[in-house]
Parts: sequence; C-alpha cells; structure tokens
Amino acid sequence: MKWKRKRVRKISKESKALLVGDNPFHNVSHLSQERTRLRERNLVLPEHAASLITEAVDNGANGFMFSISDTTLSILKVLREKGEIGRLSLFAIVPYAYEYVKLSTQVGGIPGLSKKVAARIAFSGNIKAIAMGLIGFLRTDPLPLMKTYLTFEISRIRSSAGKMAKLQSVLLHEVITDLALAMNMDWLFKAHIDYMLRLGIEPGFNTCNFAFLTRRFKEWGIDSSRLSIASPFNKVGFQMSPSRQECEEALESLSEPALIAISILAAGYLKPSEAIDYIAALPNIKGAAAGISKTIHAQETFKLLKERLDR
Amino acid sequence: LIRDLKIAVVGLGKMGLVHAGILSVLPNVQVTALCDKSRLIRRFSEKVFRGVQIVSDLEELSWLHPDAVFVTTPVRSHFAVAKALLVEKIASNLFVEKTLAQSCEESEELKNIAHSVGGVNMVGYLRRFYVSFSKARDLLLQDAIGRVTFFKAYAFSSDFLGTEKSGEASASRGGVLRDLGCYAVDLALWFFGDLRVRSADLSSGSGCSEDSVKFEVENSELKGEFETSWCMQDYRLPEVGFSVAGSKGNLQVSDDQVNLVLASGESFRWYRHDLNDSVPFWLGLPEYYREDLHFVRSVIEGKKAEPDFDAASKVDKIIDEVEKKAGEKN
Repeated sequence: MKWKRKRVRKISKESKALLVGDNPFHNVSHLSQERTRLRERNLVLPEHAASLITEAVDNGANGFMFSISDTTLSILKVLREKGEIGRLSLFAIVPYAYEYVKLSTQVGGIPGLSKKVAARIAFSGNIKAIAMGLIGFLRTDPLPLMKTYLTFEISRIRSSAGKMAKLQSVLLHEVITDLALAMNMDWLFKAHIDYMLRLGIEPGFNTCNFAFLTRRFKEWGIDSSRLSIASPFNKVGFQMSPSRQECEEALESLSEPALIAISILAAGYLKPSEAIDYIAALPNIKGAAAGISKTIHAQETFKLLKERLDR
Repeated sequence: LIRDLKIAVVGLGKMGLVHAGILSVLPNVQVTALCDKSRLIRRFSEKVFRGVQIVSDLEELSWLHPDAVFVTTPVRSHFAVAKALLVEKIASNLFVEKTLAQSCEESEELKNIAHSVGGVNMVGYLRRFYVSFSKARDLLLQDAIGRVTFFKAYAFSSDFLGTEKSGEASASRGGVLRDLGCYAVDLALWFFGDLRVRSADLSSGSGCSEDSVKFEVENSELKGEFETSWCMQDYRLPEVGFSVAGSKGNLQVSDDQVNLVLASGESFRWYRHDLNDSVPFWLGLPEYYREDLHFVRSVIEGKKAEPDFDAASKVDKIIDEVEKKAGEKN
C-alpha cells in the first residue's frame, strides 16, 4: 500500500512546547508512593484534571503530554466539551505501560495480555486496524501489529478529543523505547518514525537513556531533529542515565532542539524556580513537561516556564 | 582480555524480556539465545530480536554451550528447568527469578545440586538492590537504632483489587505470599537473620489461592509481624516496607524512602534522589541493572552471588511454615 506523507503540524520553532504532564492524574509520584496516598482524591477525576489543565493553559501551557488511558481519554473528552481542546497540542505516550503490566499480571502473562489487546482492537470496529492486525498475525510480522496498535490508540484519542484536537506527537513509552534500544532494534525506531510521518504526526520517543539513545540514533542515521525525545532532565540528575553530565553532553551535541524535558521537578524534590532555572540554561530544548496537582502549581509553574523558556 | 559471557534466557515473559534487555547492554556479556516453549512467541521473537538465537527447549539450548542461564519461566516450572540445566550440565551458572521453587523441599534439592555442580547461583530478590533497602541495612549494621526488638513488614499491591477472576489468575502466580510477600520475607532474613514462624492466617476472596496473609515470626532477639495482600486500595504499584523498633530509635523503610528517628529526637529522611540511584542503563527500574550486573560480575570473578540458592531456600522455608501454620489453624 502506498502512503502519502502528510505535513507534520508543529508548535513553531520559536516557541517551546510547555506541557502539562499527566502523572498526578494517574496518582503517580516518583518521589514516594506514600505521597500519592496523601493526595486529594479528586485529582484523578477528569473534570478536576481538566480544570487544572485549563488553569495551566491560562498561565502559559500550550500542550498536554499523557499516556493513553481511560483516565486521560476522559480528560480529553471534558476538555473538548468545554471548548478548550483547541488550545492544546497533544503529546501522547503509548502504550500506557502500567495498565498493560497490571493486566498481564491479572490474565496470566503475555499470552493472556495479547488476547485481551486483540479483543479490544477487534471490538473497536476500526477496520484499518483490524485488517493490519490480521495480516501481522497471519504473517507473524511485528511491523503490521505495531501499526495496528498505534492506529487503534490514535483512533481512541481522536474519538475522545474530537476533530479540533491537534495531535502533535505520538511517543513510544520508555519501556518499549529502552528495551528496543538495549536490543539494538533499529528497525522498530525507523518503523515508528516512518509510520508517524506518514500520518502527519511528529514521531517521538520517551526514554530514560537520553545519551545512549542519541548516540545510537547517530550510528543508525536517524535524524533526531524531526523527533520529540522526552527524557528526564533535572538539576539533581534524578532518573538521568548514565549521569547528568553525559545527558547534558549528548544534548549539546544535537544539531537541532529535540528534547522535551520531563521530571524537571525531580518528582517534587526541587522547587519550581530552581528547577526551571536549570532547564532554561540547557541548549536544544524543544519543550518541557511538568505535572500539576493544585491550582497554585498550575499557575506558578507554567508562568515560570513561559517566562524563562519561551523567550 | 575477558571473553564475553554467553548468556541465555529461558522464558520470554515480562521478566525474561527485561533481563534480556539489561544483559544486552552489560559489558562483557553476549545474549546468545532466548528460549521459549511457545511456538508463536518464538516466531515473533525471531523477527523482533534479530541476531539472537531463538530456541524451543533446553536440549537445543545445550548445543550453544551458554556460560550462564537466566530462568524466567513461571514459578511452577523453576524447579524442573533449573534442575535440568544443572543436572544435564547445560550451564553451571544460574540466575532464577524469585521464588526459587514452589516449596522448600524443591529449593533444598536445587541448592544441593548447585553445590555439587559448582558455579554461581542467584535468585531474583530484586528489592535487595533498591537503594532504600540497601541504606536501611547499612543503618542496621551500623547499629543506628541499637538493638532491634520488633519489626512490622508489609508487601501490598492492588493488582487483584476488584478483579472477578482473582482466584484463578492469582493461583497461577503461586498466591500473594509467594508472588509478593516473598520480597518482605527475603529482606527480613537479610536484615535480621534466621526467623521462625509463630502463627499465620491466610484469607482468600475466591477460594483458589490466598489473597492476603498475616503472620508472626521471631528469633532469640526479636519479634516481627508480616502482612501481605494484592487487593489493597491505594497501592497503585506493589510496595514493600518495614517499621523497625530498636533500643536507640526507629527506622522506617519502603521502596522509595528511608526515615530514621532517634531517641535523642534527631530525625533523618532519604529519598532515592539522595541515595545515588543512577545506573548506566535504565530499563524498567534501576534495580534490574544492579541485580544483573551483580550476577555477571560474580560469574566473571568466580565469587558467590547474593541472594543465592541458600538464601532463597530460607525464604521458601518460611513460606512453607506459614502455609503449614495457617493450615493447622484452619
């Protein structure tokens, strides 16, 4: 089948992607799980999350970075109903690893999980996805299956967020990216990039191994300037592998901005001001994402990000 | 020059993939083969993991002469697979995911076979490689809270909270004590030495397998209580933790933090951020890298790995005792 390449809509090069992260809406804290148990319960309610995102947008945010889950799809739906969805660029991370790991625990591992996912896709009624999936299964070819899954997830976003939504980027989750990186699976990176570009979506990768990834991309001839690479960058080097210094050097070596800095607050360990000062001083930053759990955080964090990053 | 270790992974589930990934980036290691009995998984694996041999059984694996093998099959097959690998001399260096076997009897047998074969053996009690638990053990060894008299341990998750087929699926994982509680048992043995079970109580939501377990332990110096459940609200991720009381203060430790409160009134808190949690390559959790590196280094240097089959047998012994005591009670 011949594909026609679509033009990728981009946040302009002059402005940075200032993204609301979804971790608090899934009740995730990388500082401590105890902290999540002390949080307000309404944080996971889509209406509340949507109002926090709107507050962040009023203060400078221009996008939402999220794993595709029932929770975040409900948030998108609320944002659409409120007429706010057009103010945001969407950066989707697939798959929502937590959900699939939990599901695989409940259904007896990868075989059970595969059946569940296949059933979801089959019942979604997405003919294109079903057809590609069938081909992939019959040929035991992972590429059509990967495209099937991506098509299915993108259709879920579109059906929740509506036609006004700008799906800027689809990023492969760190578990997939980093496993593929470790196992030298260059074909998977190239296939994702190619498929996303054909759909007019910016390809992206979420990784905890920024330095390793950029080095491999150079070896494989992958041009990172067309990509969004979401990776932890923060003053204390939290989740930065192998080290803060090596990640900074790798960032400096890029020819164009590609990094969406995540974990910038090191999971709440750093104060927004000191965290954002560090990020603002880095080269080749395409944007940054920060989770928010309170209205005051939405206001302060994104005002600061807008002031210091988007100059 | 050190020759690359040729390592094979048996069982291509979630844990098999994580270990295969980590091993692929470790220095002096070559992942030489992946083994799974499922034909479908093998056919996909051949196309996904290019350049690695995909084999269907241990006989085929033996032709490749691996230096070490990771066993990441379901727990119920650990004993048969590990025994065959050792007895048939396919590999003398073995890493087996937790728990080592389904009973203490099986674990003891594996331990004895491994002793006679020689080589390095290790079991995947990952939490020993968490920076928080490692810090807590250091504090205990440094006598930071004095003589320990009592501890409370928990291992909770919400994995089966609200699921309809909890019993069937949970039974396939060996029950909550073997699947999740074993981490707390292993850490307790690591922290406090040998323990014996005083009493135990199992409860099940579905009758097929236990969903929560409470039990008490003791040794000549201290007493302890355990609680484990995989039907807990608000435990989005599995979590293990301890509260430890000593003559000079108290220590609390969980997956992501350590709190030390001394009788003098001083208190200290450490998060992962404070405990050098960085690793050269991050896949899933940083602990996987540290764990696999420890095993590989032990094999290369010919040193004992920890936790080994001896340590893992002690965990299985406690689990057997808990099941026995609970059975007597019921």
